[in-house]
Amino acid sequence: MEAPQYVAARVQRALAEDERTHELGIRVDVRGEQLFLRGQVTGDERRALIADVAGEAAPGLTVRNEITVMEVRGPGEEEKL
Amino acid sequence: MRELRIAAVGDVHLDESLRGRYRERLDGIEEHADVLLLAGDLTRHGTLEEARVVADEFRDLPIPVIAVLGNHDHHSDLPAEIASMLSEAGITVLHDDATVLDIDGVRLGVVGGKGFGGGYAGKCASDFGEPEIKAFVGHTKRIAERWRVALKELQADRRVVLSHYSPVKDTLHGEPLEIYPFLGSYLLAEAVDAEGADLIVHGHAHAGTEKGVTPGGIRVRNVALPVLGRAYGVYCL
Ligand SMILES: [Fe+2]
Ligand SMILES: [Fe+2]
Repeated sequence: MEAPQYVAARVQRALAEDERTHELGIRVDVRGEQLFLRGQVTGDERRALIADVAGEAAPGLTVRNEITVMEVRGPGEEEKL
Repeated sequence: MRELRIAAVGDVHLDESLRGRYRERLDGIEEHADVLLLAGDLTRHGTLEEARVVADEFRDLPIPVIAVLGNHDHHSDLPAEIASMLSEAGITVLHDDATVLDIDGVRLGVVGGKGFGGGYAGKCASDFGEPEIKAFVGHTKRIAERWRVALKELQADRRVVLSHYSPVKDTLHGEPLEIYPFLGSYLLAEAVDAEGADLIVHGHAHAGTEKGVTPGGIRVRNVALPVLGRAYGVYCL
């Protein structure tokens, strides 16, 4: 069986290099038969696409998509320097 | 001298699916800030289609917009085409050079560019060995030197440096240590410390933290959108 570290590395590389995603900021962990994805993205569509690409790079694993969609607030407080 | 309010954000990573979404958050920006700085990674894949979305989201704002590109904006090997598309939309794009704005009689000088990696003092790549490593380190060295010269020649009342890559480690806190050499280089901070500035803003480190300082005491702000969690940060000088 392939070591989980190599599977996780392959998924991470696929997320960065696949032209559908080019996503560098997602944490990937393999635990047994499960593939965990964690991080923040800008929309639901993107969140789903990342899970697709990750799933293709690790066939046979169950994708646990724990990525959250970022809420961008208004400008908020200014900082005096 | 009047206080200047600098709005800044990076890593908006726009594409067609996000068209119009950013623009609505910029409503009323002129009440909060005098200028908007964009710290690179404006697109996802660096395509012209995505650049058109960026141009449309940031065109005709009531305040000036100054941008640098990021590594994502270079992915399709079209940085010059993207830069000219943004320029046509009225956005000033810096490429290791400077621009000076007059804001109610106060001259704001902005020096900037993409920056590059290499790592931080004592734990960095050096200009040694294979040509590939020399090319990597040499790219950062040449950029840092151009920033130093641009800052030296800059005539302004307030000085801000706009980068994509990070000049310091402080604002990377939260990123894995192993990737620090790909997130920035201390050579950038060294160049800015040598000539002086009031503020450095950068993006790129999505999992980093907002606030840091150079060894010379210049304030650094990581304005990557996922770090800020708000439409833009505002810093008063
Ligand atoms: Fe980015
Ligand atoms: Fe980046």
